[in-house]
Amino acid sequence: MQYMLLIYEDEAIFGDNKDNPALQEIVGKHMAFAQSLGDTLKGGAGLKPTAMATTVRTSGGAQTIHDGPFAETKEQLGGYYLVDVPNLDAAMEIARKIPLAKDGSIEIRPLLGADDGAA
Amino acid sequence: MTAPLSKAVREAGARIVAALAARYRDLDLAEEAFAEACARAAEKWEKEPPERPDAWLYRAAERCALDLLRKRRVRERLAPEPPEPEPNAEEVMMDDASLIPDERLRLIFVCCHPAVAPESRAALTLRLICGLSTAEIARSFLLAEPTLAQRLVRAKRKIAEAGVPFEIPGPQLWAERLDAVLSTLEVAYSKAHEDAAAAGPHAGYAGEMLDLTRTLAELLPDEPEVLALAAIVRFAEARRPARMGQRGEMIPLSEQDPTLWNRRLIDEGNTYLRRVAASDAYGSRAFQAAIHGAWCARRSLEEPAPWPRVLALYDALLTRRDDPIVRINRAVALAEVEGAEAALEEIEALDAAALAAFLPYHAVRADLLKRTGRPVEARAAYDVALALEPGPAEAAWLRERRDA
Repeated sequence: MQYMLLIYEDEAIFGDNKDNPALQEIVGKHMAFAQSLGDTLKGGAGLKPTAMATTVRTSGGAQTIHDGPFAETKEQLGGYYLVDVPNLDAAMEIARKIPLAKDGSIEIRPLLGADDGAA
Repeated sequence: MTAPLSKAVREAGARIVAALAARYRDLDLAEEAFAEACARAAEKWEKEPPERPDAWLYRAAERCALDLLRKRRVRERLAPEPPEPEPNAEEVMMDDASLIPDERLRLIFVCCHPAVAPESRAALTLRLICGLSTAEIARSFLLAEPTLAQRLVRAKRKIAEAGVPFEIPGPQLWAERLDAVLSTLEVAYSKAHEDAAAAGPHAGYAGEMLDLTRTLAELLPDEPEVLALAAIVRFAEARRPARMGQRGEMIPLSEQDPTLWNRRLIDEGNTYLRRVAASDAYGSRAFQAAIHGAWCARRSLEEPAPWPRVLALYDALLTRRDDPIVRINRAVALAEVEGAEAALEEIEALDAAALAAFLPYHAVRADLLKRTGRPVEARAAYDVALALEPGPAEAAWLRERRDA
């Protein structure tokens, strides 16, 4: 089964500057972690901060463009991994090991598959 | 339903559903196939009841499961209809051995997976492992049946679609998973235990709980918390015949006639308790089991109640698990050993606002207020307890105390 592991952290830790040591450090950890996943890793990326986000919102047939993320939250989506593993326990095991700078959450979401009419 | 059929469903139904679910990794398929097999049995057994009803049901349910799988494939047009499979080695062996594999443990771990909402775990376990109907579970959880049914559907869907494995988790996950299983069984058993008269829908599954905790203890013989729970359930069930008086009122533990207790269950409980004591790393359930064991060692009402020992065990339990429930129970023992004043002091130190809806808090407080010469406050506390809608036996007991 394929699972998306969505990483939520307080992006303020990493600041705006690309040279921020906290950012450098976590990127290094992610590279090593991604390497350790081998064949189970199907994809993944880090995201630029929500200050760089633009949202296209459709409501009642009308579309509006907003500066900023879909929702203001304490922890923001900062990146994801896409993995192919036998079951949820295996996905949870990977999620537990995803590097975090401090506090954070990993949301595990199974991908729609052929069985779900998405053949 | 014919008598042999309802007997087979009661005795083997849960095991058959568990075996099918483990085999096909699909809870809905297992339940549907078993229901279909029962329908076929209702038709056929009228004329010709089988020699081994449980094996007949299992084989029929297996065939129904394969049929359902085939139909599902055709409906989804994913593949042409596969031919009827040849019986595999296991099935051939089944013909003479009539063995239904016991997959209930595996299924318990599925029902209690952390990805399943905590409030659904006990309901799902009662449905799939104990074979209770949705209506019965809804009654014991004081929920409307459609609400409970919806909760079960959602939980089963989550298990199927999130990819919860149908496996017993590896040892590295046990600490976390086993505790979830034991807590779920505790919730399930407490529902059975509340029914003092054993007349309600849970009476039957108190027996299932004895069975299930024994199975768990056989499969995990080195886990002290598992052994402790098996002991607790036995001690508590042993006292069932003495828990209610002639007028349908609850009889508190210290006033129960020990000669009415079930000695066989107490012996079984003690056997588990000795194994717990022999292990070197035990948790809070070990102390709870020891407290039950201390009570069940009493032989008659003439023998003094074991309050000092019970108090010492609550003190020990408190070092492992410090919560209001333990503190309230400890206060009851403290009242007998050091007096009601000391106990009331402990109770008044608890967070009253957080315990506003917790019936034992008000019941114990009312008793202690009464014993320390505060009748007006005591009466008010009894009224608060009664307003929280206890079961009929406990309500009768509280009213008697209040008006005495």
